[in-house]
Amino acid sequence: MFRRLTLLAVTLLLLGSGAFATTYPVTVVDDLGRAVTLTAAPQRVISMLPSHTESVCAIEACDLLIGVDRHSNYPAQVTGLPQLGDAFAPDLEAVLALDPDFVLVDEYSGLQAPLTDLGITVFAGSPQTIDETMAFLLLLGAMLDRETEAAVLVGQLEGEIKGVAAVLTGVTGPRVFVELDPTPYSIGPSSYIGELVAAAGGVNIVTEAMGEFPQVDPEYVVLQDPQVIVLTDAPFGVTADSVAARPGWSAIEAVVDGRVYELDTAAADIISRSGPRMGEAVRLLAALFHPGLF
Amino acid sequence: MALVLLLSALVLVAALVLAVSLGSVRVAPAEIVAAALKGINGDELLPLDRVVWQLRFPRVLLAALVGAGLALAGTMFQGVFRNPLAEPYLIGTASGAGFGAVLVMTLGATVPLLARVGAPLVAFAFALLTVATVLFLARSGGAVPTVRLILAGVVVGSLFTAATSFLLVAAREQAAGMLAWLLGGFGFSTWSQVRVIALFTLPALALAGAFARALDLLQLGEEGAALLGLSVERVKLLLLGVATLVTAAAVSVAGIIGFVGLIVPHAARIALGRPHGRLLPTAAIWGATFMILADLLARQVIAPVEVPVGIVTALVGGPFFLWLLKKRSAAG
Repeated sequence: MFRRLTLLAVTLLLLGSGAFATTYPVTVVDDLGRAVTLTAAPQRVISMLPSHTESVCAIEACDLLIGVDRHSNYPAQVTGLPQLGDAFAPDLEAVLALDPDFVLVDEYSGLQAPLTDLGITVFAGSPQTIDETMAFLLLLGAMLDRETEAAVLVGQLEGEIKGVAAVLTGVTGPRVFVELDPTPYSIGPSSYIGELVAAAGGVNIVTEAMGEFPQVDPEYVVLQDPQVIVLTDAPFGVTADSVAARPGWSAIEAVVDGRVYELDTAAADIISRSGPRMGEAVRLLAALFHPGLF
Repeated sequence: MALVLLLSALVLVAALVLAVSLGSVRVAPAEIVAAALKGINGDELLPLDRVVWQLRFPRVLLAALVGAGLALAGTMFQGVFRNPLAEPYLIGTASGAGFGAVLVMTLGATVPLLARVGAPLVAFAFALLTVATVLFLARSGGAVPTVRLILAGVVVGSLFTAATSFLLVAAREQAAGMLAWLLGGFGFSTWSQVRVIALFTLPALALAGAFARALDLLQLGEEGAALLGLSVERVKLLLLGVATLVTAAAVSVAGIIGFVGLIVPHAARIALGRPHGRLLPTAAIWGATFMILADLLARQVIAPVEVPVGIVTALVGGPFFLWLLKKRSAAG
């Protein structure tokens, strides 16, 4: 992760030395270590990850988008764009037919391989932490000739997070359990959502040692006795009542106090996409953790 | 033989106590007893008592019952099919149950009825539906030839497995959870589940014991057994039916845990020989012990992160099965 940040930082230094518009050609290194060269400002951009879609639109490059994946649903103007499957089941023919000059994909699906073979310029990567998200927005601005807009956005997001932190100075946070899935799967502190939890003044009951997306022993949750439970799996039918019905969970402080929060699809999207709605995500969580303060 | 049974029972109790005492927090035997007494009397439970009585006890007991049930079913299947590779999932029970559970997880949000009925019940229903289909397809004349049964089981099982895989790929966001269920686990075991599984497993054990001699006769071949007065088809169907019910119940609450139904009967046979009178109860007890220890390992090896139990049983069962094969080929 550090290496990634350093590479991004160096690339940015080389690019943004005083310039307010990107000078092409531009070469950056993506998360897979691939050198990505853009010979001119991209005009026909495809995004195969919802957070990339949001990032592109947030830096005022929404009009460059000619196609998105089927999970991209924000902002509203992308819903009219052609849907091209998703990262793991892409509609490659449709992607090719749209004749893009730049495609943004994630680093896990392996989608960059067939696209590169088809002669398309691909950036493979996605931010996994708050810092990486900020750095990625700046990088995206450099690649799409929206450096000023990206810098403004990043400044705005940093301000929002600092603002929340300021309100929370001296306030001790509640113990929080974020549930991704009823198995139960949760998130560790070094994951994106884990960092959001910390930024919102919550204390994650999952420790660093347990990994980023651990399947947790239910007994552990009972013993840790979280004061707040956030159900990001509520869109899949998990309710506060079903959580209370689990053996031994009825006595958990969050259940007793009625602080088991079911997130709807929109809220779940906001906190799980590492992109420009980061400030909103932190405020959303902060409002759940510290109802009196937000 | 009585000695083996007694020793096995003692080891089972020891495994039970060990499994209840270990977890995120270590609990001493005295506290276990205290928590159990409070729980039985319905007294107020402290947090640690709650962990012991509401979480660990049901979990360990359910593991024991599921392990016993699968081992019992495995012994019955191996007896009926007279084939050392036979195991409880042979005629499609697991594939059907898996599909049912994944269906509920996929559609639960949009079809509230499914969510209310719950994955275990739907899984159970699909398990029985699958086996009924298999039996129907395998019927020939008035009988159910074993070869046709196995073939039909493979075919129908593959169909349901394919359907399950499709759902897994389609509902990608929930795939991790579905996969965890399919690989098996005792995460949210409840006392009511313990009661239900006990209701399936214990009578099945008694019934199987009553038919132990019939199973022995079947080893002479179906014709040989018929000549000795056994109504082969009726007994086969009854034993397979009971074994299927136990297996379906087990899979519905615990997911698809492999190798127990295959390996434990073999191990018991090596220790005690073939007569089913001693084989059945021993296999059940050993299955219970094995499952308790497998679940303990699954939740302790990288605690408090859990590993699906099916992975543990496969990792242990696989090498054991290889050893078994080598032994048999060396002997025969």
